[in-house]
Amino acid sequence: MIKRGKGLAISYYGTGYGNGYPDVSNAIVRLNKDGKVSIFVGGTEVGQGAKTVFVQIAAETLNINIEDIILYSEDTINTPDAGTAAASRQTYNTGNAIKLACEKFIEELKAKAKEILNLDSTEGLIVSDSNVYLNSSKNDKVSFLEIASNVKNGFFESQASFTAHTVEMDVETGQGEPYWPYTFSACEVEVEVNTLTGIVNIIHARFAQDVGKAVNPRMIEGQIDGGFYMGQSYCLFEDLNIVDGKIMNNKYSKYLLPTSMDTIDIDKIIIEDPESTAPFGAKGIGEPVTIPVAPAILNAIYDAINVRINELPATPDKIISALKKVKSEDQL
Amino acid sequence: MINLKINVNNTDYEIEIDEEKRLIDLLRDELRLTGVKEGCSEGECGACSVILDGKLVNSCLIMAFQVNDSKVVTIEGLSEGDNINYIQKAFIEAGAVQCGYCTPGMILAAKAILDKNPNPSREEIRMGISGNLCRCTGYEKIVEAIELAGGYLNGTKTYRE
Repeated sequence: MIKRGKGLAISYYGTGYGNGYPDVSNAIVRLNKDGKVSIFVGGTEVGQGAKTVFVQIAAETLNINIEDIILYSEDTINTPDAGTAAASRQTYNTGNAIKLACEKFIEELKAKAKEILNLDSTEGLIVSDSNVYLNSSKNDKVSFLEIASNVKNGFFESQASFTAHTVEMDVETGQGEPYWPYTFSACEVEVEVNTLTGIVNIIHARFAQDVGKAVNPRMIEGQIDGGFYMGQSYCLFEDLNIVDGKIMNNKYSKYLLPTSMDTIDIDKIIIEDPESTAPFGAKGIGEPVTIPVAPAILNAIYDAINVRINELPATPDKIISALKKVKSEDQL
Repeated sequence: MINLKINVNNTDYEIEIDEEKRLIDLLRDELRLTGVKEGCSEGECGACSVILDGKLVNSCLIMAFQVNDSKVVTIEGLSEGDNINYIQKAFIEAGAVQCGYCTPGMILAAKAILDKNPNPSREEIRMGISGNLCRCTGYEKIVEAIELAGGYLNGTKTYRE
């Protein structure tokens, strides 16, 4: 028999290493000889879109085109440390470091423009479209290229470092402020459970993610899709099946991952509530998008068959034996 | 060692190769077509997919000696110089690439679908890529990309330059 059920789960997640652990990102912004701007940052791209977000944050802060930015990352000789691509921290931490470095860079550019334009102050100077100009008289203008050609020795560059707020928790009371900021998620699914085969099919899914500010909405949708997939996969599919310390499911024919036939389109809701300490309000969502998925599915299974599954993955054999157990208890 | 003739990406080759080598070894090690990705090596993941005489196959499951006088298309065969083809453009446009490891095989699976039917339904697309595992995207944006590529092909959608 096919039984339907709905389930909901909500979660909140602390961005960064937390619990007092030093959480530092560094960035360097440098003016190139051709007037373009190089960003050096150690943050790693693993497909999550960090490089895209870094360039967007730099372009927005410097008020220049993304084509005029060259990003160098993941090169230990040339790029300053920006910590790991972990803890959903790159957008927030490294994004902040890049924004701070760009803001310092703007001040450096203004100081240089004041010198070149023979002004008595940097007041009223505006940086836009790879130019520095005087707001009141747009003819008093100097381009990034002209500034670059005025640099005689060394590099024209700015550096910045960002350290996230985190306080070690009291080991006795568990009190403290281990994370800053927090990110909130909600997931809702509807499932069909086949009580004869134990197979669970997700037929509807909706996911709402608080992102602070959506720097790149399409990539956020991609992360929600991927996070839901990961959650669905560990809730219903992935089982190492360890017997006597040996992994029995050591190939994809046994260690199952959902194929394109096992997943559905997800109704995605992006919630923007800018975080005051974040670059343009944006927070990372790498991990939060996975967290509420399994509990939502398990709640939906419970709603469908009135049986709680307490061990992951909720494979068909576990659903069948849980149903049988309830049935035999009913008969006693 | 054996000699074999093979056409890869519209170029004819005559190659001497070890009998024990697979098609993926021929493509990656002899012809340096490293867009062919080796995932599981046992035909489960589809990362090594290529198009062999018009059919999508796992190049890890086919021996090199089996492809004598055959025609193979790899991901490198889709672009002309720096000009990527319409399926690749659609994957970028739809945001269907995350880590990228499944992407070459996925794009060739898309080509195999669209070569037969330029207007596939989402269900037909999901069926057509079900032999290719993706760990990052949950497949939704890949399905969207292939739908979009179909639109480019039949003229209902145009490239955004």
